[in-house]
Amino acid sequence: MASPGTAPAEESELYRRFAPRVRLYGLKHLRDEAAADDLVQQVLLVAIERLRAGEVQNPDEIGSFILGTSRMLADSTGRKARRRERLTAQFHVPELYAEPVAESGDIEIVERCLHRLAERDRRLLVLTFYVEKTSPEIARELGVTGTVVRVARHRALERLRECVRLRQGFGGQVGREGTKR
Amino acid sequence: MTDTQCPAPIGFADVVDYWAGDLTQAEEDRIEEHVFTCAECARQLAAAQALARDITSVAREGRLHSVVTDAILNRLAADGVRIRTYTLEGSGVVPCAVWADDDLVVSRIRADFEGADSVTIVTRQASGDEIARVSDIALRPGQREILNAFSAAHLRNLPATRVHVTVTGQTGSEERIIAEYTLEHAGAFDRLASRG
Repeated sequence: MASPGTAPAEESELYRRFAPRVRLYGLKHLRDEAAADDLVQQVLLVAIERLRAGEVQNPDEIGSFILGTSRMLADSTGRKARRRERLTAQFHVPELYAEPVAESGDIEIVERCLHRLAERDRRLLVLTFYVEKTSPEIARELGVTGTVVRVARHRALERLRECVRLRQGFGGQVGREGTKR
Repeated sequence: MTDTQCPAPIGFADVVDYWAGDLTQAEEDRIEEHVFTCAECARQLAAAQALARDITSVAREGRLHSVVTDAILNRLAADGVRIRTYTLEGSGVVPCAVWADDDLVVSRIRADFEGADSVTIVTRQASGDEIARVSDIALRPGQREILNAFSAAHLRNLPATRVHVTVTGQTGSEERIIAEYTLEHAGAFDRLASRG
């Protein structure tokens, strides 16, 4: 039930606007989809509770408040996760592996666009986002500087984004440089 | 809580560096504070995250047809991707096949790449049809091995055939063949079916 100053419609609007941002924050800092989803629920519940209690008065402050809550709760979740990892390592409990959510339509397009990139750009993106190597580590591996890696990486991702955007607009038809089909 | 146009959007380079973890703590904080008050930049960040997630999915599903590194192979193996490897070195014919439970097939191509700025690897069937071509592969000084990965799903469509791999080096505007290898591809096999 909504009380002081908030109505269900406003709470829905709050959720619509901020849930994706909290989820991104969770993915960045917790590196786990389920943990990021949990964070969204926890943070938005706290925010709605505070709004109902009239503790957040200025609408311009709501973003900062939600970010602050995200930081606090993610930090606590992160500490718990690190403790679980330590215990898992100590007692040799096997990690459960969850299959990633399939989004086959987009994956097909991303796969094709990825293979249209120059070989070094493709390798750079895979090393960054899949292997999660830092730019100095990649720089050592490719024999270039960290600055070169960062510039090449954002240009490569920009090209990938443009290619995907075009293909999504044209029904996903595109050739590729790599394996012939 | 209004979605107005951002007066000072975060550049895409900063968004990518943020997601890749290449910013200082202060820079990260600045971006997060901005994203939580700006819907436009939040969408920009979401777009970068979605691409990063899809790149991860392409790799994890063994759909890379590309030059890879040992770091990439180690991560794939940790994620349960089944990798079959053949080493190409010197002369002779290398027997090979692809099995039903393979996800990725990797050629370890060993040669003396000294003097080449970059190389191109072309893989062809005996008929001359190209299976794959990877161009402009950058080399580190002293590098003596290139790992060329193929999706096993794609190779399962190949008939039994002799396969020729040509490695060409580029130095300035000049090109020269560095190495040529031959594989005898026996086709696709299913372990369980072959027992029956």
